[in-house]
Amino acid sequence: MFRYLVKRLLSAALTLIAVSVVSFLMFFALPRDPVTGMCPKNCNAERLERVRQELGLNDPKHEQYLGYLKGIFTGRDLGSSQGGRCDAPCLGYSYVNSEAVTDTFGRVLPVTLSVVIPAAVLWLLLGVGLGVVSALRRGTMLDGLSIGFSLTGASMQLYFVGAVLQIVFIYNLKILPVPHYTPLLENPVDWALGLVLAWWALAFLFSAIYARLSRAQMLETLSEDFIRTARAQGQPKSKVYGRHALRAAITPIVTIAGLDVGGALGGTVITETTFGIQGLGRTAVDAVRAGDLPTIMATVLISAAFIVVANIVVDLLYASIDPRVRLR
Amino acid sequence: MHSRRAIAAGGVLIILSAGLVACNKTTDEGSKVDTNRVTTGVIATDPKDSRGPAPEVPGAKKGGTFTIIRQTKISHMDPQRVYSFAGLMNAPLYARTLTYWKDDGKGHLTLVGDLAETPGKNVNNDCKVWEYKLKSGLKFEDGRPITSKEVAYGIARSFDPDLTGGPTYVQEWLADNAQYDQVWEFKTNKTALPPGLSTPDTSTIKFEFAKARCDLPFALSLPASAPLPSDKDTGVNLDNQPFSSGPYKITKHQVGVELVLERNTNWDPATDPIRHQYPDKIVWTFGPNAEQGANRVIADSAADQTALAWNGVPASLVAKVVGGSYTSRTLNAPTPSANRLTINTQRVKDLAVRQALNYAIDREGLIKTLGGATVAVPMTTLMPPSTLGFQSHDAYPAGPNGNIDQAKKLLAGKTPELVLAVSDNTAGTETGTQLKNNLEKAGFKITVKTIPTDAKLDETKKRDNPWDIWIDNWAADWPSGASILPVLFDGRGIKAEGNSNTAFINDDALNQEFDRVLAMDPSAQAPEWAKLDKRIMTDLAPAVPLYVDVAYFLHGSKVGGLYVSSVFGYPAFTDVHVKA
Amino acid sequence: MASGITLIVLMAVALAAPLVEAMYGIGPHEQFQYKLSSLGGIPLGYLGGISGEHWFGLEPGLGRDIFIRLVYGMRTSLFIALAAAVITTVIGVVAGTVAGYVGGKVDAVISWIIDFALAMPFLIVALAVVPTIALRFYGPREEIPGWFRVTVLIGVFAVFGWTGTARLVRGQVLSLREREFVEAARASGARLGHIVRHELLPNLWAPILVTFSLAVPSYVTGEAALSFLGIGMVEPTPDFGAMIFRSLSYLETDPAYMVFPGVTIFVLVLAYNLFGDRLRDALDPKSKR
Repeated sequence: MFRYLVKRLLSAALTLIAVSVVSFLMFFALPRDPVTGMCPKNCNAERLERVRQELGLNDPKHEQYLGYLKGIFTGRDLGSSQGGRCDAPCLGYSYVNSEAVTDTFGRVLPVTLSVVIPAAVLWLLLGVGLGVVSALRRGTMLDGLSIGFSLTGASMQLYFVGAVLQIVFIYNLKILPVPHYTPLLENPVDWALGLVLAWWALAFLFSAIYARLSRAQMLETLSEDFIRTARAQGQPKSKVYGRHALRAAITPIVTIAGLDVGGALGGTVITETTFGIQGLGRTAVDAVRAGDLPTIMATVLISAAFIVVANIVVDLLYASIDPRVRLR
Repeated sequence: MHSRRAIAAGGVLIILSAGLVACNKTTDEGSKVDTNRVTTGVIATDPKDSRGPAPEVPGAKKGGTFTIIRQTKISHMDPQRVYSFAGLMNAPLYARTLTYWKDDGKGHLTLVGDLAETPGKNVNNDCKVWEYKLKSGLKFEDGRPITSKEVAYGIARSFDPDLTGGPTYVQEWLADNAQYDQVWEFKTNKTALPPGLSTPDTSTIKFEFAKARCDLPFALSLPASAPLPSDKDTGVNLDNQPFSSGPYKITKHQVGVELVLERNTNWDPATDPIRHQYPDKIVWTFGPNAEQGANRVIADSAADQTALAWNGVPASLVAKVVGGSYTSRTLNAPTPSANRLTINTQRVKDLAVRQALNYAIDREGLIKTLGGATVAVPMTTLMPPSTLGFQSHDAYPAGPNGNIDQAKKLLAGKTPELVLAVSDNTAGTETGTQLKNNLEKAGFKITVKTIPTDAKLDETKKRDNPWDIWIDNWAADWPSGASILPVLFDGRGIKAEGNSNTAFINDDALNQEFDRVLAMDPSAQAPEWAKLDKRIMTDLAPAVPLYVDVAYFLHGSKVGGLYVSSVFGYPAFTDVHVKA
Repeated sequence: MASGITLIVLMAVALAAPLVEAMYGIGPHEQFQYKLSSLGGIPLGYLGGISGEHWFGLEPGLGRDIFIRLVYGMRTSLFIALAAAVITTVIGVVAGTVAGYVGGKVDAVISWIIDFALAMPFLIVALAVVPTIALRFYGPREEIPGWFRVTVLIGVFAVFGWTGTARLVRGQVLSLREREFVEAARASGARLGHIVRHELLPNLWAPILVTFSLAVPSYVTGEAALSFLGIGMVEPTPDFGAMIFRSLSYLETDPAYMVFPGVTIFVLVLAYNLFGDRLRDALDPKSKR
């Protein structure tokens, strides 16, 4: 187990480094001058050149990249126009936001976490629950309805669902406030009210996928021999279905769920745009549009980190749930 | 069977949701913006005008919290770095300047002394030496007095190349050089003052220029002349937490989320001829986009009754708020923000082609694309109607939808190929489609090129840019023709980058006219600029005047005292108050 | 099968777009601004300007006909989605088969590449690359042809989309490899190509087909999402996602503008999903329904 973990961590580190190198190169390979966003109305060639000098943009590319990496571990000294000393982990300074990138993240990361994690809990409970129940009640109207629900959800677009929910609940029925983010610790009720529509929109779409998936998995498991044996032995239904069937059915769902959550954490752009919430996704989009290299690099790294970590967690979970899996 | 159910379910959902909105008939109604409104403005000559307190706003009471809803954060709050509209309307709350405008919201402006006793003393009547005497009783938010030392320090730090973003008039005039930060370095000279700036005593500040700068009083109305004590200078961090000299001070700032301003008890209304301090708190809330902000204010729920939607009412929601109960909550006024189709005269050399463009343009169609009469009104002059001394004229009368036949006649069968540059956002690309369809009717062959939105301004300001036509916007920093025509059409200052003369014309006779008019007394200049406007259009046609932006804002039912600034075209907060 | 018929009808309409235009009488770029209100630019009359002449009404702002733009938009979306689905399926099958069958270091490398492709944030890369890549190939004054943008979008999907199929195929090949008939073929000296063609692929084509048919709607959705963010097809090319994005702002004042593209894309995606489901049910030997 330990050896496996070490191997995976090394592989993860390699992936992250590759991701950072590729994004770094990508932004310099594109025909877009990184300093254009930084010097507004009354800039001229000399001042632009001085900004470039200060940002180290005239240094060779590999030096810039290594300096950036070093900054993450040991901190860096940025020029006075970037706030001076930047302590580890130093992710650079953003001219667009006029703050250190780590500060931007401190603001923006809790928002994305608050949107994704409760939504994930909702969609897993709803989706898997619906799928399992409809597998158990195959052929009944409940099953038909749940299939209909899954197909509809899987064919809907998030921005459409989000817009309709807002129009209904906020502007017509007026029972919910406009979507916004309040830190959980500051005011839990307001936190929930401000995000509940986003949770339900995501849950509607994702649970459809999971309902389909769990139903199929459950049906397949239920037709296995060991289930028939257990029932024949006289074991109670709840034990058979709950412990044996569910456990066997759950493994691929765990895999996909882990990847979905990891991916969602890094990229809830459409949700955030639809609901007007400033999270990691929108920050990334704004950064790309403004050519804000430090923020872009940091968001790419964090999104990649989420996915990589999710992969490892999922593999470990897989191993602990399914005894047939042996980690090599 | 399942499929049918699923389709039925989804279809019902969609139709239901569309049906939730009432099915109304859309009709056309007239616009309400007074396009004939002219701006009048004077520099106050009577010292009484510069004295406080400002007259009470009828019906205004103290108390309450006024909220402003905006999508993005205000890019700069450091007074020396403010240059965006939101920043310019926010700054007077916490930053007082040497001079400022008295504005009745209907186009009547008076430039008065704010920190200073008068709008400025032109010592030798040659506009080269100016003196300002500060009022007594001026205090910062911590109670210490505002003296000429702090005002001078504020101007000095605007030379710091790290503190970019603000206007550069005063710096360039003092240094007599566009590279002012190389003439005098702020960082190494923190205790000294830039050349030409001096403080003979604690209440006098003196400007000495190499050339005549008759517009100094106007330039000092921008927040860049706000005072700052040197020990409160936190460099780039001042942007998020400025030090107040005005009626409000920043008490809480969560970047991108919320900005809270509360009363500055050390502000003395007796010294201020313009501002009031009615609300206890003023709060900027960031995040909701234009539609969300407008919807909140339309709904007028308890929290939003004292709010203003800063991003205005987008065209997509206008039909909801036109007429009826919303009129009393609507701010609707023309702005000084003028938009023209700049023609790169280095590439489009044929005058007949430029004139043909002027005849072919369909202004009404373009305005409909942008969202209708609450977004823009057509303009046929280079200077917007809000300019002092404005006179309406139309050098190429083509009617609201353009005169295609006349354009074709001028082109005499040719099909010039022109490259139109637009921003790559929705508005830009739709404008591109609109203009392409419009101009191709007259025989032009238009290629639309998109440029990343943030880069468009910089790219089109380069002398060697590869495009032929694009839309430019110009909102003068003060409403005089002197800050419009020579800036946009004098060819002697053309450089490699950062040009404002993006038509790149350089006509000697015109340049000399500019010099002649600039040397005149400011009040005599106004009619001359109007004449020049007509002349430039008729003789050179360096652009196609398109439209003036319209201010269309909605606020909650418990807010009073808001008006659209006649200088900047955005809501001003000097008189704002919360109704019980 | 209702879904199959729907699909065929929609695809036929999309293919025959110019024919539809000829019969309908209005092109996708014609403007009717005199039929728009001067306050807000929304269509006059009821339900967003529906009339005998304009079956689905008009767009606000530019005043173009929605029906014919939907027809052309569907053509673009379907073309991109199908092309992307084909390319990603092919690449995925090849990569998955090689990784699963050859195993060892090759498998490790391919698996790592899959991990890497999954870790790269798709939207951010698309945002950075799509708007600016044209500048690399075309001068600042040249017109960029519509097909270039289409190719770029297909390329972006291809680079990121093959991983799912590859993983799936790899998993299948891994388990197939241990089966007796494959071992027998190997033992009798069959070459790799032979085994792939005769032992592996016949057992793989069912899940591959299902993945393919389910990939198409996800690319339709993906392309609409990119257009929603402004990096899909650009003006003046008609496009679903761009239309829906614009229509969201008008949901309260011109809801009809959203209904037609919304319903159409829903029906399209639903039909493909249903078809894929039915296909899976029919082809999967383990399902007894």
